[in-house]
Parts: sequence; structure tokens; C-alpha cells
Amino acid sequence: MSLSRREFLKSSAAASAAAAIGMSVPAELEAAAATAEGDWRWDKAACRFCGTGCGIMMATKNGKIVAVKGDPAAPVNRGLNCIKGYFNAKIMYGADRLTQPLLRVDANGNFDKQGKFAPVSWSRAFDEMEVHIKKALKHAGPESVGVFASGQYTVMEGYAAQKMMKGGFRSNAFDPNARHCMASAVVGFYQTFGVDEPSGCYDDIELTDTIVSWGSNMAEMHPILWSRVTDRKLSDPDRVKVISIQTYTHRTSDIADIEIIFSPNTDLALWNYIAREIVYRDAAEGIIDWDFVKKHTIFTAGPVNIGYGMRKSDEKSIKEGKYTPLEMEIISKEMKTTVSNKEGPALEPFGYKAGDTMTHTGGTLGHWEISFEDYKKSLEPYTLDYTAAIVKGDPDENIEVFREKLQALANLYIEKNRKVVSFWTMGMNQHTRGTWVNTLSYNVHFMLNKQAVPGSGAFSLTGQPSACGTAREVGTFTHRLPADMMVANPAHRKIAENKWMVPEGTINPVGVQHIMKIHRDIEDGLIKFAWVNVCNPYQDTASASHWIKAAREMDNFIVTSDGYPGISAKVSDLILPSAMIYEKWGAYGNAERRTQHWRQQVLPVGDAMSDTWQWVELSKRFTVKELWGEWAPSGPRKEALPSVIEKAKAMGYNENTTMFEILFANDIAKSYKLDQNDPIQKGYDNSEGYGDSRKVVGSDGKVFEGYGFFIQKYLFEEYAAFTRGHGHDLAPFDMYHKVRGLKWPVVDGKETQWRFNAKYDPYAAKATKESGNSHAFYGTIAKALKSGDLKGMDKNTEQKSLANKAKIFARPYMDPPEMPDTNYDTWLCTGRVLEHWHSGTMTMRVPELYRAVPEALCYMHPKDAEAKELKQGALCWVESRRGKVKARVETRGRNRPPRGLVFVPWFDEKVFINKVCLDATCPMSGQTDYKKCAVKIYKA
Amino acid sequence: MKAIGKITIGLVTAALLMVGCVSESAKSTPQKVVDKTVTEESLGLRKTDIYSEDATVASKTEYRSAQATTSTKIQRAFQDAPPMIPHDTVGMLPIKSEDNRCVTCHMPEIAGAMGATPIPVSHFTDFRPRAKLVNNEVVIPADHYKNETQIVKKSELQNARFNCTQCHAPQSQGNLLVENTFEAVYTSKDGASKSSWDESQYTKSLNTVIGGPSFVTEGDLANKNSKAGSLGGSAH
Repeated sequence: MSLSRREFLKSSAAASAAAAIGMSVPAELEAAAATAEGDWRWDKAACRFCGTGCGIMMATKNGKIVAVKGDPAAPVNRGLNCIKGYFNAKIMYGADRLTQPLLRVDANGNFDKQGKFAPVSWSRAFDEMEVHIKKALKHAGPESVGVFASGQYTVMEGYAAQKMMKGGFRSNAFDPNARHCMASAVVGFYQTFGVDEPSGCYDDIELTDTIVSWGSNMAEMHPILWSRVTDRKLSDPDRVKVISIQTYTHRTSDIADIEIIFSPNTDLALWNYIAREIVYRDAAEGIIDWDFVKKHTIFTAGPVNIGYGMRKSDEKSIKEGKYTPLEMEIISKEMKTTVSNKEGPALEPFGYKAGDTMTHTGGTLGHWEISFEDYKKSLEPYTLDYTAAIVKGDPDENIEVFREKLQALANLYIEKNRKVVSFWTMGMNQHTRGTWVNTLSYNVHFMLNKQAVPGSGAFSLTGQPSACGTAREVGTFTHRLPADMMVANPAHRKIAENKWMVPEGTINPVGVQHIMKIHRDIEDGLIKFAWVNVCNPYQDTASASHWIKAAREMDNFIVTSDGYPGISAKVSDLILPSAMIYEKWGAYGNAERRTQHWRQQVLPVGDAMSDTWQWVELSKRFTVKELWGEWAPSGPRKEALPSVIEKAKAMGYNENTTMFEILFANDIAKSYKLDQNDPIQKGYDNSEGYGDSRKVVGSDGKVFEGYGFFIQKYLFEEYAAFTRGHGHDLAPFDMYHKVRGLKWPVVDGKETQWRFNAKYDPYAAKATKESGNSHAFYGTIAKALKSGDLKGMDKNTEQKSLANKAKIFARPYMDPPEMPDTNYDTWLCTGRVLEHWHSGTMTMRVPELYRAVPEALCYMHPKDAEAKELKQGALCWVESRRGKVKARVETRGRNRPPRGLVFVPWFDEKVFINKVCLDATCPMSGQTDYKKCAVKIYKA
Repeated sequence: MKAIGKITIGLVTAALLMVGCVSESAKSTPQKVVDKTVTEESLGLRKTDIYSEDATVASKTEYRSAQATTSTKIQRAFQDAPPMIPHDTVGMLPIKSEDNRCVTCHMPEIAGAMGATPIPVSHFTDFRPRAKLVNNEVVIPADHYKNETQIVKKSELQNARFNCTQCHAPQSQGNLLVENTFEAVYTSKDGASKSSWDESQYTKSLNTVIGGPSFVTEGDLANKNSKAGSLGGSAH
């Protein structure tokens, strides 16, 4: 910029003064004022934060980000962002960015687990990783090498990590933090539709008459969607109804017509109550769309004695006594429970009554077809009396008023010609019956033919920016491969092996080491090497003290790659500095199946490099001989993994060919050219492709000069190949750089708004060509079932094909494993606040966001505070059977719990609430329930 | 060159911070191989050890107590960044459908008299081409394949902007846990205190592909040069 700041100030002042009095200004000076933004480069990008997936416009000047605004062309948010969205501008500029690798060392510079951190070169860092990975492989094979993956990986990073883990290391100990946020939604999708991800899209908000938020504080967690809901509501306040169904009052209730405060876990009963109203009033009122139900759905049931996803009595750390008697009070319920009076009536149709002992067993995913009569029987208990009695969550609310609200809720769903969208996120997913409650939502929408149509549908919102795009679609889960393929399926493994140009038989068929299992396997001594990528598992996992202890006190090697030193970095043996979001090319996929790309805006800081680069550099350290020989049975894998070295040789590799050459720098990869004449690449950095002006000394001790090809495009296109042609289709890479994202499946350049609906989804259109049906639920997972009743499957029945059909599940209310009692008398619910993202590593370093909410508060009812002699703003202890933390009491804040419940968010390192939480999960999905455990609160 | 200069400054700042964390014990132990180390506790936001909670206390929230009419405005973080709330909000929140107390002072026609920041024109502008059902067909009146926008100036505050606290928040006093090295650049002289946006700027720079067609071409769709882009016969 040639104009100095002083000249600029002078010129713009002159221009506005001149304009004000209508005089002319010298042409030269006028031109200068108009181009004050001239040396800013604006480009489009996706927001770093939640699953909404807003578009931002980002300005850079002299290699630094200087401004962010809402992208008016982005269909998701049309020119508006939330407070976090705007402050994307500052997230990379916290003064303590990690700029070089840090290793724990002794006085001689050797690795020492008890040592302090010293800066080391990238070359030394990779040396240490190589040594410790080899040590782990020797200890227990591929199952000993684990990765904490992420729903915040870019699509390319996730795909690179997946290729190296599953195609290179042959390890499925690879699972994302998205397990903690979306797994129950996913299993719900698999069970109901046979394929992952939502039917609808955000346009449903403008098209609907009714928005029901189930246990989701959309106003803070999906603020831009909430602004669309608010717009819809306020533009037609009489017609449009908003219902907020929550365990405590918060901002989402502030514009609601009806607020229902329910007792934790009873959302199961509430959904069944609505279904009961539909089914039991149908004969008289003709509520069910039988034509739709008969053509498109069947009724199903599964086992109920499935435990709570906690550790089992025969696991090593349990037998070794690593859990205290207090902890065991709850963990013992994993094997056996006594049916309570509360859940007794709901379980009666399934063969249990209050007081019975329920023995919990495995095999949780199985299910079978039942009759409509059986389904109807499963709903019988949910009378208004029973439902209201167990669901009412505010002890101070009048039961009659509450009953009226439940009736009104059911009537809104049932009302003919009323469109309804049901939204949920963590409330229904972080739940020990999370898969069940997800499937229950579809039941109601299916019976009313209010699913997968414009303006109606049960719509699972995602939490993370690429929980859909990377974790789910790429498949950075232990059991998954790209595009809904599974490691357990031999045909799927073969497809991936072909595409990855690795020998048949390379991919490990046993994928059960989900993220909680990875922590537990570290504690059990099975996993000896773990790498943290784009997440913070030592802050974000319940029963946190166990995992920190296992990492720090056992013989293992933990590595964390991050932009900032969070709790996970502190716990680690090696810390690697990662390039952050706008310092690399990337793509994210949001909750409405929209894939969005951005270009590298600025260079990374210090010696930081992207996670893609870190994976690719690591791959240089491992050869065919080292990874592809035979591996003896290990951990969950009961059979040997065969040697594929001979097959590799037949493919033209030799024993010393590196994974780098096979997986990342093959001839196909090199066909993606770096080209400054390509309008997509022109003028943009590519630190992996070219290296950059920082001259970072790389993994071999030499300046990294770049891979010499367009690696991000290669990774995206190769991954996209898996999606194309069978219902997950992604558009070509270049297309995403010209539009503001597209909702897959993208067929012939056209996106899909309503999946499974023959009018909008070309795959559904194809499947219904002959039948002329309105819908086809064409997912392929678990689409042949035997039959049975509510008490079990009849093994002698024939398997029946359910092509193009969805399922309506009979599933009862059950208690969570830990509930308040006389000693631990209060429910603890955790979650986020608007201003902070997850564990706060980025947002706590943005001054405006930090100052907005500098601490995690303990939100509680004023009467509870009074009864416990706690003053507003005073410190209290929040203590469970697992641990305790201190927080300040807040009785008049944005979150307003009923008596008997407190809310403490988890972003604050200094209020380490996950030490208090219980690591119980939905046993079907492996997703932790962060919303329910029992605590006592007292003065600190 | 300027860019490199800035990055260097950033690095020096970071390096200084790191040096500031050098542990005393490492300094006093004579050793040659490792000249500086950092402790686990010195890293990150929590400077106490993570194994016990006794000595750990959260930062205290201390929002400004100044009343709305007498508070000093907080500078915008960058050009057109949402301004933060400089005054006490007790009794003003929550915002409800029938009760939005923010607008009672911040509407442009009264803001001046109240000494409040006026709600800018962007909040009186409708940006959304809404999906509608017309004869049972879904119509969205802007073609997003062409990055079309539909931006209409209105006389009333837009409902999408009704939740003020979605972007504007009160600010606690006291020290930051970590400084931030972001440097604001304002394009207007009152950029730190005033929205500079006008209608002509909303759509500026939306075309982000320079030096080639910014629209999707047949060639883009054909994706011919993508050797990895299909499964090559095997389907699933």
C-alpha cells in the first residue's frame, strides 16, 4: 500500500468532509480513499466452529488476517455470523501458539517421561515417534498404536490419517472425538435408514410451521440456525410454533411458545407418549398415514438388557482395582441392575417388572421385525398419567399445567397440514440410550408422513464443523471406511484396498477400539502409543483422572498435535505444532450434508505444519517389511492378521518401499499439478505443495521444499471417488471453489435437498421408477431381518429383505446408571456456552470471547443455593463419586435450572468438570453421556 | 517482505514467552545438552498442576458496572466487528419475543439521544432469499450455483438479528490469560467506533476466483483431469 496511514487518514477525512458539504475533491485523493481496502484480499472460507457450517468472508493483508464478515452469498448464514464466527479473525493469533516440537527430556536431552519439555527439531520429533510406534507394534501389534482423531480434521487430513492408519499401520485403534458428539445419531441413522446422515436440510426452517428443539440449546450452540428459526417465528408469530423441550431453561426457551422441562433421560418416555397418542387415537381420528407406513416402513425391536457402556467386570483395570469402591457402586450396574419403579411399567411389555433383576449382556445392535400389534403394546404404558409423572423435571411446576403442555405438544405433531421439524444434538446423543431416543424420533415423523419432505422431518444437528464431512463421511472411526463402508465387510475392505493400491488382506477386519476404548486400552496397557489429532481428549473425556493417570504413569508414549498447548499437550510426551485452519487448504462438511472448501489464507506460524504434512512425513518412516508382515492375535482381534508382503511384491513394491511412496506420493497423486495459472490456485500459498518462505527444516533435517504436487486436491478427489455413484456423491474439487458449498449427493452438478424423497433425490427417483412410490429409504445396512416379538427374536424365522424401507422401533424408557440419591443429591449436566468452542483452546485466547465468559460457572436454582448456604458468586465444590472441581455459583445467569439440577460447561481448564463426569456411554454407539451424573454441591 | 517481518515479530513474541517459562530448576542444574526446558504447568491457560483441584480457581467474572447511559464504549476489534457491550446488563436480559430491552435504547432514532451505539443499516437489511412453497414446488429466489444474493433494505429491524446477545456480549475486566497478537486495520477513520458498511459493500469481493471463469463450467463438471476421482469400475 503506497498511501501512508497519515495520508490515508487525511484523505478519508477530506473525502467525507467534502461529501458532507457537496464540494469536489481532487480526483487523485478521491481514488485513494476508495481503495483504502484495495490491498485487502477477500476470500471465502468456512467457519472453524460448530456443525452449522456458516460461510465467512475473510480479509488478509500482508500475510495476516485483518477482518471477517458474514458471507452474503452463503446459503447457510446469508451475511450473518455469531460472535464466534466473527472472531475467527483472531483465533490463530494467541501469543502462546506452539511454534516448535517439544519433547520431555532428561538433562542429557534423552526422552524422559518424567522430564520437562525442551524444543526439538521436526527430525528428532519423528525419530521419537518412529521408535515408540515400533516399540508399540512389537508389544501388541497394530492394536497397540492408537489415534484420537477428530470431527474438526479437514476432509483431507482425516483421509490422510485414515489411509496411513488403516492402509499402512493396519490399525483400527483410530476414532474421533465425534464419537462423543454424534455416534448415537449415526447408529440411529444406520438402524432406521440403513445409511448415515439427515434427510432434510436447513431450508426446512423457512418452510415449516413448527420447530421443536429436543434437549438442544440451539440459541447458543447453533446460533445462526436459531436466528433463522427466530426469523421464521417472528415473521408469522401466530402460525409458527416453537417448542423448547429441555432439562433446564436457557436462551432457546426465550422465544418458545411452550417450554417443557423434563427429568433427565425421560425424553425416551416423551417420544413414546407422542407415538402412543398417534397410535391409540388413530382408530377414532385417522391420524396415521397408513399408505406411507405400509409402503415404506416395518416395525422392529431389539434387546433392552444392553448395559450402559461402562467397563465390564472382567476387564484388566477393574480386576487390578484401579477403580475405587465408590466408583464401583455405579460401574457394577454394567453387569446387573434392579428394575426400578420408575422404569418398571415401561419395561413390562418387554418381560420385566419393577424389582426384577436385569442381567446385561452384549450383542446390542441386533434387532428383528415385529408386528404392529407388538409395537402398539410397547406404547401402552405411556399414558398421560405415567408420562407426566416420570417426565416432569421441575419439582415446582404444577402437574396439571404440565399435562396440558404434553397434550399440546402431541397435538401439534398430529395436526394435519401442520409441518414439523424436530431438532436435537447432544441432549439426545449424549445419552446411555442415545441410539434408542434417536430412532424414537423417526417413529413419530414416519407415522405422520412428516419425514423427508420440505418443511418436515426429524433432523439431527451435528456439533462439530466436520463431524459429518470428515468423521462420518470419510470414516475416521474405528469401524468405518469412506462413504459408509465398514472394515468388518470383506467386500468393502477390498474396494478400499484396491483404491489405496495396497494388497488385498491389508485392512484389519476388527474395528471396535472406539474413543472410550482407546482410553481404556491405554489404562489396560494394550495401547502403548497414542497420537492426538485436532482434539483434546485429556480434557474432553469423562472420568478424566483415569486417562490422565494412565498417560502419565504408565509405560507409553503420548503425542499431541495442536495449535496451542491445551490439557492434552500438557499430558503428552511429545507436542507437535500444527498449522491452524486458515493456514492450510481444507474442506469441512456440515449438518445438512453441505461440503465447503477454502484455500490457504496465510502461512502457519513458527515451524508449525499441517496435520496432513505430519501424517505424510510419518509415512516416510515405515516400510512394507515393517508393517505388512503377519501380526499375532491381539486385544479384540482373535485371529492373526496375515502377511501381505508377498502380495505387495507382486504389485511391484519391495520390502523397503515406504508408505509414503504407496499411499501419498504415487503416480496418480503426482498427476495433480501445482499450477499458478490455475484460477483456483493462483496467488495462494500451499505450504505442503511448495514449502514456503519460512524455510521450515523438515523431518529429514533439510529445508522442506514441498511435495511438488497438489496433495490436497489429490486427497480430496481420491476420497470423493468412494462417494460417487452410490448416493454419497461429492462434486469435483474445482466446483467447490466456485460455489458456497453443495449438499451431497451431488449428481450432474446438482445438489440434493431432501434425501430419500423421489421428487428431490435422484437415487430415490431411480429406486421408485417402477413402484411410483414417493420415497425410497435405500440405505443398505441391516436390510434383511428375522422376526420376533418384544421379548426376543425367533431364530427359526426366515430373513426378510427390506429394500427401500425404513424402521419404526419399539424401545422403552429406562433409567440412566447414575441418578441422584441422598448423598449425591443433584443432577449434573455439562455442555458448551455460545462464546466458547469445546475445550476453549482457541476461544479462551480471543480477548473478546474470553472477556465475555472468562470462567465456567455452576448454574443453579436460587432455592438450591439457599438450601446449601451458597451465595451468588461464591465458590462451591461440585463432587461426584469420581472427583471434584471448584466453580462459582450462578443463580441468575442465562441458564436457569430447576431445583435439583446444575449445569457446568466444560470449556474451562480451571473448572475441569470432566473429572466429575461418568464415562457411561450408549452401549450401541459408544457415545458418552455427559448430560447426567449425580453430584453433591457444597461451600468451597 | 513486510509479511515476513510481521511473522518474525510474532515469533519473537512467542519465543520471549517461552523463555519466560524457563524453569528455575533447569537453569540451576548444570547441563550442556539441554539449555532450556519448560514445565508442564507453565504451558497453557491453567498454571496450576492438573492432578489436583485444591489450588485451582477460575478467573473471576467482573463485568463493567457502569450504567448504560454513562458507560464508555469499547472499541471494535476490527473493521465492522460486532461491538461489545460496555454497560451493566442486569435487568436487561434475557431477550424474549415480547421483551427486547436492547432495542429500547439502540434503535437509530433514539440512540443518539441516549448516547447509545445506533443499530447500523446492516441490521435493517434482509439478506435471505427464503425458500417458499409455490404450488407445491420449493422455490428459492436466488441461484446459489451462481452465488446470487438478494439483499433488500427494509425499514424495520430484521428478525434474524433479534437475538442481540448472539453477537454482542458484556466484557469482564482484569487481565487476559494470554495476549492476542491480532492487529486491527481500519479502513475508515472511525472504524473502531462505527459500522462502515453500506449497501454497495455487501456484495463486494464475493467473486473469489480471479483469472478464470468464476462460474461452474462443463469442464469442471466433467472433472476429466482427476485420475483418482472414480473407483475405476468397482462399485459398492
